[in-house]
Amino acid sequence: MNGEKPKSAKELGKILTAEYLEAARTAHEHGKYVAYTTAVSPVEIFVAHDIIPIYPENHSVACITKRLCTELSEAMEREGYTTHLCAYARCDLGYRLVGKSPMGGIPDPDFLLACNAQCFTLTKWFEVLSRKYRVPLFVFDTPQWIKDPEARREIIKYCVEQLRELISQLEEVTGKKFDYDRLREVVRLSDEASRLYRRFLDMASYKPSPITIFDALIHMAITVYLRGTPQAVHYYRVLVDEVQQKADRGEGAVPNERFRLYWENLPIWFKFRDHFNLLASYGAAILTSLYVHAWSYEFDLDKDPLETLAENYVSVFSNVTLEERADMALDLFQRYSLNGMLFFINRSCKAVSFAVHELRDMLTAKTGIPALVFEADMGDPRFYSEAQIRTRIEAYLETLEQRARG
Amino acid sequence: MKEDLLKPFLEVANNPFESLRELKARKKIIGSTLADVPEEIIHAAGLHPFLILGTNELIKVAAALMPDNACSLARSNLELVLAYQRDFFDGFVLSQVCDTTQHLCDIWKRRFQDRYFENFLAPRQVSRPSARRWVAVEMRRLKASLERFTGQEITEEGLRESIKLFNENRRLLAQLYDIKRRAPGILSNREFFDVVKAAFFMDRAEHTKLLKPLLQWAEAEAEGWKAKDSFPAVVAGIVVEPPQIYDIFDEVGANIVADNLPTASRYIYFPASEEGDPIEALAERHVSRPNFSPINDQVERVYTDLIELYRGYGARALFYIHIQYCESQDYDLPDIKRKMREEGIPMLVVETEYQTTHLALMKTRIEAFCEAVLGRV
Repeated sequence: MNGEKPKSAKELGKILTAEYLEAARTAHEHGKYVAYTTAVSPVEIFVAHDIIPIYPENHSVACITKRLCTELSEAMEREGYTTHLCAYARCDLGYRLVGKSPMGGIPDPDFLLACNAQCFTLTKWFEVLSRKYRVPLFVFDTPQWIKDPEARREIIKYCVEQLRELISQLEEVTGKKFDYDRLREVVRLSDEASRLYRRFLDMASYKPSPITIFDALIHMAITVYLRGTPQAVHYYRVLVDEVQQKADRGEGAVPNERFRLYWENLPIWFKFRDHFNLLASYGAAILTSLYVHAWSYEFDLDKDPLETLAENYVSVFSNVTLEERADMALDLFQRYSLNGMLFFINRSCKAVSFAVHELRDMLTAKTGIPALVFEADMGDPRFYSEAQIRTRIEAYLETLEQRARG
Repeated sequence: MKEDLLKPFLEVANNPFESLRELKARKKIIGSTLADVPEEIIHAAGLHPFLILGTNELIKVAAALMPDNACSLARSNLELVLAYQRDFFDGFVLSQVCDTTQHLCDIWKRRFQDRYFENFLAPRQVSRPSARRWVAVEMRRLKASLERFTGQEITEEGLRESIKLFNENRRLLAQLYDIKRRAPGILSNREFFDVVKAAFFMDRAEHTKLLKPLLQWAEAEAEGWKAKDSFPAVVAGIVVEPPQIYDIFDEVGANIVADNLPTASRYIYFPASEEGDPIEALAERHVSRPNFSPINDQVERVYTDLIELYRGYGARALFYIHIQYCESQDYDLPDIKRKMREEGIPMLVVETEYQTTHLALMKTRIEAFCEAVLGRV
């Protein structure tokens, strides 16, 4: 950071990202290793063992926002893969064929870790990479977090046992003994950053809200790839202060805020700006989703660090039962005073989309708020019907207006 | 003779719900889904385990509950129980092996709040010791859940008896498969795999009872059998649906000599130990089977298992049955195809869908493959 204090969280984020990527690219020169992992995974174990985690998903998001998805996807389709697969996987496998990247690419992996609490796709995608690079793949298997206290105790035991297996494998790969004291410190830092991140997200409960989900989607990047570091803690302190000041001034993210919306699923990354503008023209803002809350961990620092890691990662929204997921969403409805909801069925993401119809039924029944459901893809414009989706969003917002008029 | 011996199997395989009315009247039916639900535990609870293998009937209800790019097997399973056979089942044990099956459980459970429902949280990795321990824990949870449902204890002795019964059934099917290999044409592919399929539906003791005379007949017939013109082939995949695909293999002269299907060899082979703790025996069986696409194992097994089968059984072709929108197979296939090309193994990917498979087109493709690759006209 060259001793200079950056002026804003945005600037700080750019610097941290550049430093992180540079460290990953030069990892081998510094005797470090690079591991690919899923965005939801106990990455604290890597951080504590001087392994730099790389998230191919993040790189794919960068490819999508630069409109490279279709081109990269077509490259992997020529190799026999289908367009039904996750757009992240298609971008990544395509990137490995044609080498195109908006950020100069990402280093190849020494190790792969897939946590299936997030999704099953990552396991299969990383199996392909494991064969390609001939590097070990560790699947951290997280059975569904069913609502049964006895089963949950056993699930945690199974997960902790696997984390010990992971640590043994990492010791083998690196030839270095794992330091549990260091892990405790990393978990403490991760906890602090996660709680600050949650405070930032929860500022959407102000009226008007100083942030929308688009701010959350930008600022979640640091907790995804730098949690467990002091830099992430610093970043979120700066961010929370900034947003708090905005809230104190009564500044809303959209002018004349009237509709405070819930979004179900990942975002449509390449439609970010368009959606924001369209909604804002109606005084509507998407404030939150379960997706951005997937990194709001709360680690119990009095517990064995492996146990609290297991508890947090197994219980992410994509791995709980539908009933519990609906409860998690309802909690957001109440805390953020939401009065509308958009359900995106994402062709790319079966893990999050599969039960969307049921979830819509449950949430509309409990809140009495109408919902809009539409299908598209988070990354591939070939599966995005511009006119149709725009018309439907407009019609939905007009319905909300009519309801507001009573 | 052969027709009489086969008749009860074919009836059950092709029309289980009508054929099993009598069984339904005397036993509670527990439906399960692929893969690897320990049926022995359900059986030992005094219940009837029935493997749900979808429907080829029209999709009317499931389309509104799942995205249209959901796996064809999952959609047609849900359709079967919601639209066609709702009253046939007294409860369900559904296996979670991928995202689709995990979320299918949630949808299913909400639609059957008046029935017994349990998830089977299969380990999604099997190459580490933790998986072996976990699957035993999960089997004990299933056992306790079934005991609560029936109000009766599943004794160790009872469970061991169920294991013996299922093992015997497997042993006889393995013998029949062996005769089919040695004496091509003695049983068509469709006949043999219908016999196997019937086991997943009917009372296993009854199936075994019917199997014995069929096996005796086949053994006798195999003596001096004049093999029909055919070529040995391996079938890989999860399910072969619609079953008319087997008829096409018969028509082109393929004799299936090996497979890795959860609906055939994954059941037929790998018996559980009849000694010691029966749950531990089932857990050991669970982790000792070959690779199954959704479950993470040594990553190269997606093709090394197939190469082993192909070479080990002296096959001349490999048919890979790909269920539409099966994400797991979608990720495996390009690497499998590449490897088979490198190994010089002729492989044809047969794309299937429960509702819309066009059999005539499929037949043309399979015939063209046999002609071009194997030189058979």
